[in-house]
Amino acid sequence: MKVSMNLLKRYAPIPVSPAEYQERMIMTGTGVEGIDDLSEQLENVVVGRVLTCVPHENSDHLHVCTVDVGSGEPLQIVCGAPNVAAGQLVAVAMIGAKLPGGTIKKGKMRGVDSYGMLCSGPEMGVPVELYPSVGDEGILVFQEDHPLGTDVREIFGLNDHVIDFEILANRPDTLCVWGVARETAAAMGTELCLPEVQVKEDTTASIGDFAKVDVLDHDLCPRYAARVIRNVRIGPSPAWLRQALHAAGMRSINNIVDITNFVMLETGHPMHAFDLDKVAGRHIIVRRAEAGEILRTLDGKEHTLKGGELMICDENGPTGLAGIMGGEESEITEGTHTVLFETASFDRTSIRLTARSLGFRTESSGHFERGVSAQTVLDGLNRAAQLVNELDAGDVVSGIIDLYPNPVVNQPVVASVERINRLSGVELTGERMVEILKKLCFDAKVEGDTLTATAPKFRQDIEGEADLCEEVLRYAGYELIPTTPLKGAADGKRSTGMLQNDLMRKLLSGMGYYETMTFSFIAHKKLEQLGLPEEDDRMNALALRNPLGEDSAYMRTTLLCGVMTTAQLNQAHGNEHARIYELGKVFDNVHRTAENLPSEYNSLCLCAYGPGEDFYTLRGTVEVLLRQTGANYTILPVQETWLHPGRAAVIRADGEDIAVLGEIHPEVAEAYEMSGRVYIAEINLPKLFAAAKPMGYVAGLARFPAVSRDLALVVAETQPVGPMMDAMREAGGKLLEDISMFDIFRGPQVGLGRKSVAFSLRLRAEDHTLTDEEIVRVMNKVLKTVAEKFGAEIRA
Amino acid sequence: MPNEWACKEDTMSIRDELNRLDEEMEKALGNLDSLTALEALRVMMLGKKGQLTAMMRMMGQLSAEERPQMGQLINERRERFTRMLDERQQAMQKKERELRLQMERLDVTEPKPLPEIGSVHPNTLVLNEVVDCFTGMGFEVVEGPEVELDHFNFELLNIPKNHPARDAQDTFYIDDNVVLRTHTSPVQARTMTTRKPPIRIICPGRVYRADEVDATHSPVFHQIEGLVIDEGVSMGDLKATLAAFARRLYGSDIHVRFRPSFFPFTEPSAEADLTCVSCRGKGCRICKGTGWIEVLGCGMVNPHVLEMCGIDPKRYSGFAFGIGLERITMLRYGIKDMRLMYEGDLRFLRQFREDVKEG
Repeated sequence: MKVSMNLLKRYAPIPVSPAEYQERMIMTGTGVEGIDDLSEQLENVVVGRVLTCVPHENSDHLHVCTVDVGSGEPLQIVCGAPNVAAGQLVAVAMIGAKLPGGTIKKGKMRGVDSYGMLCSGPEMGVPVELYPSVGDEGILVFQEDHPLGTDVREIFGLNDHVIDFEILANRPDTLCVWGVARETAAAMGTELCLPEVQVKEDTTASIGDFAKVDVLDHDLCPRYAARVIRNVRIGPSPAWLRQALHAAGMRSINNIVDITNFVMLETGHPMHAFDLDKVAGRHIIVRRAEAGEILRTLDGKEHTLKGGELMICDENGPTGLAGIMGGEESEITEGTHTVLFETASFDRTSIRLTARSLGFRTESSGHFERGVSAQTVLDGLNRAAQLVNELDAGDVVSGIIDLYPNPVVNQPVVASVERINRLSGVELTGERMVEILKKLCFDAKVEGDTLTATAPKFRQDIEGEADLCEEVLRYAGYELIPTTPLKGAADGKRSTGMLQNDLMRKLLSGMGYYETMTFSFIAHKKLEQLGLPEEDDRMNALALRNPLGEDSAYMRTTLLCGVMTTAQLNQAHGNEHARIYELGKVFDNVHRTAENLPSEYNSLCLCAYGPGEDFYTLRGTVEVLLRQTGANYTILPVQETWLHPGRAAVIRADGEDIAVLGEIHPEVAEAYEMSGRVYIAEINLPKLFAAAKPMGYVAGLARFPAVSRDLALVVAETQPVGPMMDAMREAGGKLLEDISMFDIFRGPQVGLGRKSVAFSLRLRAEDHTLTDEEIVRVMNKVLKTVAEKFGAEIRA
Repeated sequence: MPNEWACKEDTMSIRDELNRLDEEMEKALGNLDSLTALEALRVMMLGKKGQLTAMMRMMGQLSAEERPQMGQLINERRERFTRMLDERQQAMQKKERELRLQMERLDVTEPKPLPEIGSVHPNTLVLNEVVDCFTGMGFEVVEGPEVELDHFNFELLNIPKNHPARDAQDTFYIDDNVVLRTHTSPVQARTMTTRKPPIRIICPGRVYRADEVDATHSPVFHQIEGLVIDEGVSMGDLKATLAAFARRLYGSDIHVRFRPSFFPFTEPSAEADLTCVSCRGKGCRICKGTGWIEVLGCGMVNPHVLEMCGIDPKRYSGFAFGIGLERITMLRYGIKDMRLMYEGDLRFLRQFREDVKEG
């Protein structure tokens, strides 16, 4: 909210600099975004009188003038404006004057010296709101008399600052000049001097003879008040009013409309003015709209209503949207004779939803959405009537229509001084609290420990002790709050999930992987591009009702899409090699929780491409992660639509699929605009850690010798080695300490479609030296197993 | 005494022979050019078929008196030759090693590829510092769902139906009762409804607001909220806790300032400003000359919220605070555009590493 400082000062003196004022207001809870000094835009421009004005000898449009600025010798100034003439009172930019367009220097125009410039309105940056005749062609000519040499900023109201207040959501009462004036007076310790509202009524007429109001839906309109002005004299507003509106960013229209806007600015009560003669039956009806009703608003737009919106109607139907915008029909015009002023309190939610659904907000709806106190409605209405008196804009008909069936009264809050102090940590006496609250217009008293305070009628946010604590504290000063470290010991710890993630991240950093983060949203198209079948759980992603766009319409069911997009971006940015991962929540929409929410779990997705990367480097990384958790796992070939059919594996532990990894299928890579071979793995962390084993005790160093035996086994080419080793390990039992593969041979010696795989087995007993019989027994068992399971033969 | 003469004769010739050997040895040693030649010389002189051995054989011809004398002379030479050869061998080996070491000289400044170490995301780096700071003060990390019930995200936090904060322009909805959490406060609400005080928790996690992406906004970001509930908890405790956090993260010269503010679930509420981390309070462009930067919102838990969560506000009080992780991360590392954090460009990510900081 922008407010003229000069206007504010009329109600609450500000005896400090703007910067100090800003600081003090911020520290007492009224946000100030900034303070603009209006006078900075225009310097050293004064009122002068054109004494003589003759055409320039070498020009067909320039004039050479002498101008008296009230200080000694008249100045010679060359002027190009067609309207310049001797005798005019004009704005003279002196040498060194600062204008929005630059600084004025002494000049020479076609051989004639010029000691300044006669200014037009636009050249001074003065809008029509501040001085009506600036809109005229050519230089600005003052219509009224001013002493020569007067700084023009005084005339335009530019010796002012505009304060940009930031109003908190719980303080709609400060969304007006009186509201910030109250806070200013309390913060500055100065006297609050709001105008005494007195209305001079025309007692020869009574409002009942002019208008009738019926509120049919009081739940949405707790209070509706109206006054009638007759013999309206529409005209321009005085300078002070135009300037006040201009500082607030509002345009001056005419005296009646300006009064309604000014009252909103001043008191926070949005008002509406009806041309009463255009209100059918001079009868205003406030009611909910029926579905399909049509309304034309002041801005000329036609709205079809859904039904339920609060309307202002006359006997012919809707004329305005309550609290948002009036209707075109009853707009104030030059020819308006009788005006009805409306000040009301409307339900904030209703106003907000209507404004939202029709897609527009007005200054007025903004006030109502934040909440306008029903208790102060008449203050606004009477202030408007008072201004009508002051501006002589019409005669105020005696009487008020005030429909307020359920008056609201602020109840006293009873609080404990000691509890307030304990909560804030600041020691204040009950008397000090009362003093502060009174300054804030509360009715307050203290008896012993009991503080009783009733909020003023414009405040709607005071509900209990904690609210009083804040009021007292913000004026006593938040800087008084001490720093008192927490008492009592507590067991600080990370969650298990966090510790699991920490472990993964630590290992991955060591292996050269960089952590990335992507949004949790996903485009359904990206899932489709993975080629997943419709029935795959991941395809059934949770949809947002109001996504920002199609690309972010679902919650991710897998990290693959995000990580692949990140990989693609790195390729596009010329990063030739990458090892990246993301660790984050995915949302399983199929298996739902007891609260019927999707199951959220941490997933880990690794991706690598570039020189030195292949299937096995990625698998190695994944295996390290698994081994570091102590999980026992097996690796098996797998078919996944998004992976190369011959380069895809699943890692299984305790019967669960923990991870899938492989080279990205060329078709998927193409769809994601990636080039070259890209390797990717996705690990289900809860499943991984379910298979994790605690570390336990370590084994002592072996005391008895080991025996090594090599074994070359011929199997079908298609036989994966992993399951063979798993089977051999199982068959070897406790005595088989370790098994490794050291060679694969293919050639005519082993036959077409077959391969010879060479293993090295290390056997050892914990408690004795192995005998030949034991060794033979183990080796035979191993051989028998692989022969039966895989048709393996010993290579001849 | 032909025999005696003969003996004398033989003695003389052995002596001559020994002297000649001495000379030969000197000469041969002088000409040595390799360890192989040295070994050959050793064999020629000292080997089984070597010259000294041959001389020993000749001793049989000598008289009993002369034999020990000659034997001594020969043995003396064996020892001397052995010593000479060993010394020479050592010298040559040393020289050879020096030569080899000379040959093996590397340009230790020549650039070579490094083993690549990765890094966690900047958000994670800062989150870890924050979590360490708060766990050190006895806070426990608690997590909760990101797809959340309206009840926990709004209702229990004093944001009733139709409150402007619930607008679709701010909140992502799944349906009427389910939202993407707009803050991590629902974790606090869940904790308050399931645990009894004392409560001392922090809740880090992802949150969602319907904001378009730009340099300082993102529809997905992270918060760390803290909650303490116990008997006699005051705003002073809150200030001390946040001051400890600020010092830990940004240095001991960083202070906390409270400004009155408003949040539905706290009363009194405050914005906590920190000394500007860029100019250390002197005033600069980042803090718009004020010396302070707005970092987090906090306050005393609204008694109404305590009540709704089943905690007696007459007996207990508490504080809560919410920190935007991206904001403090960007301040910590001078990141100017939030989009960099979600793009995953390695040229950005490679700049991060873990700092070791004093307690």
